[in-house]
Amino acid sequence: MLEIKHTLCPSCSVGCGINVVSHEGDVVGTYPYKRHPVNEGKNCLNGRNSIEAYKNKLESAIVSNSDVDIDKAIDEICSNLKSKDSDKITVFCSGNNSVEDIEAIKSFAEANNYNIASYADNIVDIDGEVASYDDVEKASKLIVIGDVLYTNPLIGRRIIHAKDNGADVYSFTPEGSVTANVSNEICDSIDDVLNNFGDNLDESSVILFNTVNSSEDLDKIKEIADKANSKILPVFSKCNSKGACEIIKAQSKEEFVELLNDTDLLLVFNDDLIPEIDFDFGSISTIVSFVPCENSTSNASQIVVPVKSWLENDGSFVNAMGETQTFSAVIESDALGVDEVIEKIQNKL
Amino acid sequence: MSYVLAKSKNPDIQEAGECGGAVTSIFKYLLDENIVDGVLALSPGDDIYDGVPTFITDSEDLIKTAGSYHCAPTMFGDIIQKYLSDKKVAVSVKPCDIRSIDELIKRHKINPDNIFTVGLNCGGTVSPVTGRKMIELFYDINPDDVVSEEIDKGQFIVELADGTEKGVKIHELEHEGYGRRLNCQRCDVKIPRKANIACGNWGASDGWTFIEINDEKGEELIKGAQKAGILETKSPSQDAIDARLKVEGIMIKMAKKNQDVNYEKVSGIKEWDRCIRCCACRDVCPICWCYENCELNKSYFNASDVPPSPIAFQGIRLSHMSFSCCDCGQCDDVCPMDIPVSLIFDKLQKKYQDRTGYVAGVSDDVKPPLYSPAKEEL
Amino acid sequence: MSDELKIVGLLCNWCCYGGADTAGTARMQYPPNVRIIRVMCSGRINPSMIFKAFEEGADGVFVGGCHIGDCHYDAGNYKWSRRSKIVEDILEEFGIEKERFRHEWISASEGEKFQTTMDEFYKTLQKLGPLELK
Repeated sequence: MLEIKHTLCPSCSVGCGINVVSHEGDVVGTYPYKRHPVNEGKNCLNGRNSIEAYKNKLESAIVSNSDVDIDKAIDEICSNLKSKDSDKITVFCSGNNSVEDIEAIKSFAEANNYNIASYADNIVDIDGEVASYDDVEKASKLIVIGDVLYTNPLIGRRIIHAKDNGADVYSFTPEGSVTANVSNEICDSIDDVLNNFGDNLDESSVILFNTVNSSEDLDKIKEIADKANSKILPVFSKCNSKGACEIIKAQSKEEFVELLNDTDLLLVFNDDLIPEIDFDFGSISTIVSFVPCENSTSNASQIVVPVKSWLENDGSFVNAMGETQTFSAVIESDALGVDEVIEKIQNKL
Repeated sequence: MSYVLAKSKNPDIQEAGECGGAVTSIFKYLLDENIVDGVLALSPGDDIYDGVPTFITDSEDLIKTAGSYHCAPTMFGDIIQKYLSDKKVAVSVKPCDIRSIDELIKRHKINPDNIFTVGLNCGGTVSPVTGRKMIELFYDINPDDVVSEEIDKGQFIVELADGTEKGVKIHELEHEGYGRRLNCQRCDVKIPRKANIACGNWGASDGWTFIEINDEKGEELIKGAQKAGILETKSPSQDAIDARLKVEGIMIKMAKKNQDVNYEKVSGIKEWDRCIRCCACRDVCPICWCYENCELNKSYFNASDVPPSPIAFQGIRLSHMSFSCCDCGQCDDVCPMDIPVSLIFDKLQKKYQDRTGYVAGVSDDVKPPLYSPAKEEL
Repeated sequence: MSDELKIVGLLCNWCCYGGADTAGTARMQYPPNVRIIRVMCSGRINPSMIFKAFEEGADGVFVGGCHIGDCHYDAGNYKWSRRSKIVEDILEEFGIEKERFRHEWISASEGEKFQTTMDEFYKTLQKLGPLELK
């Protein structure tokens, strides 16, 4: 029967609410969740399209390109794990997983002395307090790095509100982009925007960014924010990157690639690394993917295990401003959760 | 057209309902007699500010839909069209809901024989997050303590669990940027006369619902519910009828004033330059139903341009459906960039109305004149 | 500068296109700024075509159809005529002067009417200057 249920949007770290429509056991659409304080019923195209993950979900486990029973795949994983040295085994998880799943992944890796890796858009060491969305809205000055209006529209909307409240907006974003259209000044590089306008910042200012090229950029952002006593707000591309960073220290791209160089067996939990990381994944002898639906990394994996998609899962995400939000499944599922898969593997080791 | 006052004979429903539980009782009658497969109405989600469309098939569950929501700007037209078109459905409709349903019927997307529409008079809705902020700011009340809201005599009134009420003039709230949604402030259709019946408390005495019966189907609804022993009715006095029309008249007058002030602003809208082409406005629009065949998806319209040129984006949508715009404001609500989309659509429907007399979702013409094969110029 | 004015002319196959042809074979002079696109009927023209033309840099758009009552497909020009009113209303709201959009009924034999219409339209656009989209 037709049902409309609340959940959280998994398409970036803003933490928007979204209503999912299910009908006769199938996910059929989305509906605005106007009561949600973060986005008031507004969702971007990525958000509304995120239900596609359910429509394209994997039906069975895959070992060497052929469908197999899930227990067979787990046996295969276990024999791989047993045959390799634990320091050559890397477990990777990202902000696509819920807080609960990341904790399960972490304890699994620690119990077996595997390497553990986490990556969040090359953004590292963001431990302190970050700006809240209200801080952005009430800011007197904003430095925006990246086309935030386009990539993270529901934080972009807060920038618009700040602008309407009289804030000055300085950005590093392409000319003609929507973010540029609401900015007072645009610059050609991160350095430029920080050097030219860093001195204008005060304690009610915010530096907002969704992209950094290097750790130097990041250090500079932090230094300028510290000097002016302003807040920063990193916006991640994955829904729970903030939560993931709090559990497992995120690595920079260089650190991560170094670890991959030393890896023989890579377990990837719910992520697509190949388009994101410039690395020859063919050099890793075995890749195991735990994913709800196919992606380029799972296509390159020797073993693929289907797990619950976000729509079928319960748990919590931590959004970009550090607020923990819980969500519950909108549809029943017979797929296994990440924690259940891990338990099965651990039991057979 | 005729008028009755009605209330439920079921004490639980009477208690839970807004004014005597007439609407819930009519739904119960329709479900119990198997006249419909289900009832589409709102039930509370997170709290009373969160009206979630719920499809009810067991009349025992109807009680949770009783009462009214002023902070739930939902839309039923597209839900019925997309998911329930093969079912017999009874639905509670605000004026903009029935107007969109009417337009969808004209487009053969909803079968009128399959739906029973119970109209609810509407003075406007408030966005839930705005509503909560407003109650904190202007009422000095914790929004979680509010048990119900009401719009009466130009005031937005909230009621607490202990029965105390507090009201603030809507005009004051709206002057500060709170209050009803902008499209509601302009809306001049307050009584859903295209629905089978139109229900409300305007002109009604306490504990009773004033019902305007709009057509034969509506007549049968009331008679059937009476016969089933669930609805009690009496005739309203002429004073009550007049009082109700007076309320409607005042609201329409207020709306016209808001139209005059706001339509002028359209050509000055600067917000188009932050459009991210997410098409949320199109996707939520109850009138738009071309989906993947939408002209905006065609390759010759530079689908990658962000922001799109307003004439080649909103212009196209306007030319396709603005004459049928029922000013439900869903496009405003869902726009991530807070572009006041509905204003231009509403204005163009009014321009069209001035040319042709066609009021979207209200006029009785079989088709919007643009689709007609008639040999007529405008 | 005004010589760079671009006019897109959407002409119905049965009447106005013939009118343009008549003007051409009779060597009647009309502004060379008009780019003609032949369509089967003015009733086939939808508003998006007009908007697309403006978006792509046209300074004026002209639509020519059969006289009312002469439509090859019975009522196509009635449909266009009603649609054109909507187009005007929309253009206005986006800051495009409605004079930049013109439509006229011209039969195949009315070469002269085609010529004078184009002359007039060109002069109007000259006065308005190139279109700057918001």
